[in-house]
Formats: sequence, structure tokens, C-alpha cells
Amino acid sequence: MAVVEFEGASFEVDEDGFLQKFEDWTPQWVDYVKESEGIKEITDDHQKVIDFLQDYYKKNGIAPMVRILSKVTGFKLKQIYELFPSGPGKGACKMAGLPKPTGCV
Amino acid sequence: MAFISSGYNPAKPMEGRVSDIGPRHFGEYLPPVIKDNFGKWDYHEIIEAGILLHVAQSGDKTYTVRAATARLMTVTHIREICEIADKFCGGFVRFTTRNNLEFQVETEEAAKELKAFLNAQKFEGGSMKFPVGGTGAAVTNIVHTQGWVHCHTPATDASGTVKATMDVVFDDFTNMKLPAPVRISMACCLNMCGAVHCSDIAILGIHRKPPIIDHEYLDNLCEIPLAVAACPTGAVRPTKVEIEGKTYKTVAVKEERCMFCGNCYTMCPSLPLADGEGDGIAIMVGGKISNRITKPAFSKVVVPFVPNEPPRWPTLTKVIKKILDTYAAEANKYERLGDWANRIGWERFFEKCDLPFSEHLIDDFRDPAYYTWRQTTQFKW
Repeated sequence: MAVVEFEGASFEVDEDGFLQKFEDWTPQWVDYVKESEGIKEITDDHQKVIDFLQDYYKKNGIAPMVRILSKVTGFKLKQIYELFPSGPGKGACKMAGLPKPTGCV
Repeated sequence: MAFISSGYNPAKPMEGRVSDIGPRHFGEYLPPVIKDNFGKWDYHEIIEAGILLHVAQSGDKTYTVRAATARLMTVTHIREICEIADKFCGGFVRFTTRNNLEFQVETEEAAKELKAFLNAQKFEGGSMKFPVGGTGAAVTNIVHTQGWVHCHTPATDASGTVKATMDVVFDDFTNMKLPAPVRISMACCLNMCGAVHCSDIAILGIHRKPPIIDHEYLDNLCEIPLAVAACPTGAVRPTKVEIEGKTYKTVAVKEERCMFCGNCYTMCPSLPLADGEGDGIAIMVGGKISNRITKPAFSKVVVPFVPNEPPRWPTLTKVIKKILDTYAAEANKYERLGDWANRIGWERFFEKCDLPFSEHLIDDFRDPAYYTWRQTTQFKW
């Protein structure tokens, strides 16, 4: 597995750029990923989505369903795509350090 | 080759982005005769194997020549198809829902000429490039999946098994001498992408061993509750293991409850279960989707396991050929394979097709299994 060096921190990632370990997540990870996900600046809205995904994952062991993400953060799916152009899975979950989505995706 | 930009600017990914435009409208690609007579067709005939005639109310006629493809094809091959379409059909061509090709021409002579031309095209190895057929009461193309070419959950290969099977039943592709059409389908795992659950004959990749658990990585790569919920028999439960003094969150698989469906691997990359000797193929028969005479039906498992034997799968093709030939010889006209088996009784089906019946074939999945058992004294010795 590839190891990414960024501003003194190092992250172990897979071929799709997802963190291999949730515990390795640091705020630098978000700064590192944002460019490849087409995000200029991390706003409070971005942070709100990332924080919720992390809380939900720590509490439940899974990523929330899209409808739960929308309902709790108050962002419609359209707004989530405006924040994270690659979408809630590939964009937001990757930045939050959650495992790669699985299934027939 | 060095990088050549399409004009996309990675620094401004959303700039000039076109999205949600959907597919092109099919009307843009209709041959003139189809466009003119859209919704005004009178009747059709099958002139001979692979050639259809449609006559419109206006008297316009169109002849369709149907040819097989391997579904998985190169751009070179597609360009060749386009060349043929340019030469014979004014640049128009279409694909059917079973991935056959259809070329449309105006006269019967042109259709027969095109058929002869298509049948003469060969690959270097000798295989026909565009064998004409697949109409009427025939075996048409096999709907199949990705297999070892591209997927990560297969228990067998798709393109390989399909080529081996079509070679064996090729005669029935180019003729129309069966009692009714026979649809053969193939899926490389029991996700059943495609049509195996509703086909006359179905080839299905299956596993026979439980998943291997990568305890050290599982919690990092998987959402454990999803792996637990993926199991249809409740064989997966969350647990903790200690390896070299470190505790890992992971899952445990109750092996006597596991039936090797592989759903947990789909959800969790740390539960791989593919196995060279364990994996193989189950054969199902008797499904259909049309409403003609009898209702649509699911296909039923009649052979629980044949081994993977790349590259030609001789056991598999032998069984399929035997089932097809017995059906062709025994069934009444218009009777689909499932209709025939239901009429003569499944005990007769096994006897005539010379297939062994084993306990694997008896349904044991939840309450509905009961309805597949025989609650009558009506049976044949």
C-alpha cells in the first residue's frame, strides 16, 4: 500500500486514495485530499458534514445512509454535491477518513 | 504515450462541466424505413434462420439480418461492424437485448447476400465473426457477465464458459428446429447479474467454502455491521480477536451456517472466499419471462455442482448439450423447457436427462422451502 507524505504527516492509503486506518485521520488529511476532490477551501459546511460522518461512524461502525446525512446536517443531496463534487461517498467519506464504500457501487 | 488533455482543467473541475444530458434520443439513429413506419407495422415473418421480414401498413418492407457477437469486443471489431453497416445498410445498425447485431436492408436478395457475407467473415483462429442466426425456436446469444475479465466476486469465468457453450450448441443458433426458443444465460456469482434466474438453461458460478477472515485489517477496511447484515443465514456476528497481544474488532463466521454466497465479501474486502478447487458451476433450468401460455417462472437448480475446467469446461457443456438434446427430442411444439419439465414431472426430467438427484437440490431456505416439497401422492415411479 502506498504511503502519502503531506506537511510532515504520513498517511497509508489504497489505490483509490482512501485512508487505510480511520485512526490515522488528522485535520491535515482533509487539506491533503481536498485538491483531488475538487474543493478549494474547507468551509464550515464542509466541516459540519465531515464531523457528522466521523461521529456517526464512531458511534455506529457504519457510514450513514444518504438520507440520514441529509436529515441530520440539513443539507439536501444537491447541496452535498455542491460541497463535495464527487458525492457523499467518494468525496465526503474519503475526507472524513471512513472506509471505502463497498457493494455494487 | 504522453498525456494529451481533452480540454478538461483539473484546477477548475466544475468549469464548463456538462452533466445530466442523458442518452441520445433513439430517433436520431433510426433507418429511414423504420422512421417512416414507426408504430405502423402490419406483420412479420421469419424468412429463414437469422433473417426477419417486417411489412408496414404502407407496404414498405424491411429485412433484418441478425448476427451473433461475443458481447465483449474491441473497437476494431466495432469499426468492422460499422464498415458493414456503411456498405450494406446506409450506416445503420443496432444491438438486441441479448447482444446480437441487427442489420436492416430493403430486399430479400440483399438480406441473403448480407447473410452470406457475414457468415464468410472469420477471425484468424477460424471462428466466425458474425454468424447469422438466433431467430425463432433457436438457441440465441447467451446473456452473461464479467467473470475473471473484470469482476472481483466471481466463482467462474463468463466469456470462457459462454464461448465453450455456444460452440457446443452452435448448430441450434443457426437453425430453428427446437420446440420453442431456448434462452441460455450465465452469471459468474449468485448476484445473478443478468437473466440466470429466469432462463431456460442457466449457468451459475458458486463457491463451496466459507470466507477467509483477515482479522488484522477487517475493522479498518469494513463497516462491520454491514458485513453482519449482508448474511442471509445469520452466520456472521461481530467479535474481538487477540493476535500477538493486540485486540482487533472483527467478525466470526459460523461455518455450519454459511452457504458460501459471498455477500459478506461484497460488503467487506477482508472476507475473500474464491477458491480454485472449491469454486464451480451450478446449472439451473426451466425459467422464462414471457407470459405466453404459462406464467413467467424462475429457473430451478438441477445440477448442484460441476467443477471449473478452463479453458473449455467439458463437463458443463456436456450436461447442457444433454439437457438441450433431450428437450428438443421430447417436448411438444411451443413448449418451453420449463413447461416441458412441469408437464412430464421433474422426476421424469431427471430420468430422461440422466441427471443424478441429490439432497442439494431440495430447497431448505426459510419457510418458502416447504412449498417446493411434494404435498401430494401424485408422482411417477
